[in-house]
Amino acid sequence: MTEMNMVKALNNALDTMLDKDKSVILIGEDIAKDGGVFRVTDGLYAKYGDERVVSTPLSELGIVGMSIGMAMDGLRPIPEIQFLDFIYTAMDQIVSQMAKIRYRTNGDYILPMVLRTPYGGGVSGGPYHSQSSEAYFAHTAGLVVVTPSNPYDAKGLLISSIESNDPVMFLEPKRLYYSIKNDVPDNYYKVEIGKAKRILEGDDVTLITYGPMVPLVKSVVQKNNINADVIDLITLNPFDKDTVINSVKRTGRAVIVHEAPKMFGVGAEISATIAEKAIDYLQAPILRVTGMDIPVPFILEDYYVPNEKRIMNAINKVINY
Amino acid sequence: MIEEDISKDDIINAYRNVILERTLDKKLLGINRQGFLPFYIPNMGHEALHAAIGMALRDIDFFYPYYRDLGSDIARVGLDFVLAQMFSTEKDNELGRDMPLHISNKAKNVGPVITTVGGHLMAATGVAYSHKYQKKPGIVVATFGDGATSTPDFHVAMNFSAVYSLPILFICENNQWAISYPVEDQTKVEISKKAEAYGFTGIKIDGNNFVEAYHAIKNAILNVEKGSMPILIDAVTYRMGPHTTADDPNKYRKTIINEGDPLDPLTIIENDIKRMKILNDEEISNIKNEINDTVSKEVERYEKMNKPGKETLFKNIYENDPWYITEERGEIQ
Ligand SMILES: Cc1ncc(C[n+]2csc(CCOP(=O)(O)OP(=O)(O)O)c2C)c(N)n1
Ligand SMILES: [Mg+2]
Repeated sequence: MTEMNMVKALNNALDTMLDKDKSVILIGEDIAKDGGVFRVTDGLYAKYGDERVVSTPLSELGIVGMSIGMAMDGLRPIPEIQFLDFIYTAMDQIVSQMAKIRYRTNGDYILPMVLRTPYGGGVSGGPYHSQSSEAYFAHTAGLVVVTPSNPYDAKGLLISSIESNDPVMFLEPKRLYYSIKNDVPDNYYKVEIGKAKRILEGDDVTLITYGPMVPLVKSVVQKNNINADVIDLITLNPFDKDTVINSVKRTGRAVIVHEAPKMFGVGAEISATIAEKAIDYLQAPILRVTGMDIPVPFILEDYYVPNEKRIMNAINKVINY
Repeated sequence: MIEEDISKDDIINAYRNVILERTLDKKLLGINRQGFLPFYIPNMGHEALHAAIGMALRDIDFFYPYYRDLGSDIARVGLDFVLAQMFSTEKDNELGRDMPLHISNKAKNVGPVITTVGGHLMAATGVAYSHKYQKKPGIVVATFGDGATSTPDFHVAMNFSAVYSLPILFICENNQWAISYPVEDQTKVEISKKAEAYGFTGIKIDGNNFVEAYHAIKNAILNVEKGSMPILIDAVTYRMGPHTTADDPNKYRKTIINEGDPLDPLTIIENDIKRMKILNDEEISNIKNEINDTVSKEVERYEKMNKPGKETLFKNIYENDPWYITEERGEIQ
């Protein structure tokens, strides 16, 4: 065990897998000598060389497209997109190829690749370094979408993603990169894809959240002595329906918290699933506390992102309904 | 102009490929008009180039075709495989999941054809990276149309493949039209010249002349292998038919090469063969009859074949079915 932040834990996972499996290759902008702008790949170039830790020309389309070809040919590429905000020139590659090649070829070609990218706010990055566009990917059949909320999960989940034979979108909440540390095993271990974690247990309300909002929700619940189940989804697609539904059946109340905007987002899907499968158990409307439906603003970001007050308003509303 | 290292047998083989592609192409168009094939992408005009690609590539080379590569595909994966896919039969490797001519065959080193123009060029580049990294023999050969040269994918693939010195040959099947848009509006520079901007060689060839195309492609493959740098070939040909069965070219152009014209690639190779006395008239007509019979018989066989059933609908979306796929499977009516 070593105490690490999320960046170190991710670095450690990549190191573990580069060492274990020659088919693992990292590819992205500034990831080699520079170690990536958030330092996730620090030191790996020196250790594994320029054939396996590959800095690229400035093209997201190129990074993702090249990874698709590598994966088709039996490698396990791990492309890094420097910020999720710049992924859109690769959108065609992601949606039309990465997501569809297994289905379209009936499994003749599979794409064991993990696209890593930092997302969300917290770095005063304005509209182009702060986006949370996970819903685009979660909406696309063929992609697995995961997002860890702490260093321990980050390492285990990244290892699971690398070993998965499905293409994985691995979304890293950059606001949590350096802010929390926990004990991370030094060796190989996995955190299962498709399984949520109940990080707090209680009977009055279920709070469902993931990625960047997990530490906030947890601290709000603890500070205000709310008797709540807090669920960290970890995997967005396919999300862990059973953990969510079982909890809501017990508490009868659900609040979903995410940093991404509300309209047509992940919260809508969770909410609809609860309504479809547990409406008879509900004692209050399902509420969502989310980012606002505007581009992420530069100076007023704090009003965009869910905060303690907004989360408590929602909790009080459903509890007192 | 039969050069020394092309044998008579090679020429006969090429001629058979051209006749097969032309015969099948016309047959499939006819079947489409009768309503038995919902969609088809005519290949008429590309046959000599396809024969050259099909014969120049070695089994060790990875072929990443586009949707207008009927003859190259047949040379690579066989008529049965192509027809099983064409008619979306239960024998189709892909279970009828994509349109005619969108083949995929991993066992034979053939990448999956993608409808998105240019969309496969970076994947082809990635396969080349992987080949180099894994020290696999052979190179990657990717084909695409003149319209594809305007996509970002084309330019990024040219750049990345040069930056990493990758073993890849880009062949532009320049049929001078992208649906209704002529190549002189698509770009203001010769397509072959674009290679220079990325630091490697571009070659312009007559794609309607089998012998020239075959030599150029064969040499380019060897040069890519030797020089560990990509090469771009601009193979000029002509789309003699409509873009697809949904297209009417009379709306936007006057077709300048028609079947049997001196510039029809079939006429060119047939005239060569007659002039060189490789085959006489009787042998030629025997070949045509034999291929015609094969095509009729095989097309009829695949046309009648069963199609995949609805129980296949959810196979292979992920390695394991998510819970909602299991639910949706139960919802099919
Ligand atoms: C990115 C993209 N845009 C538009 C289309 C629709 N479309 C299909 S084929 C085509 C023309 C392509 O021309 P070219 O690359 O020259 O190939 P050709 O069809 O002539 O063989 C277009 C516009 C598409 N498939 N993909
Ligand atoms: Mg064209």
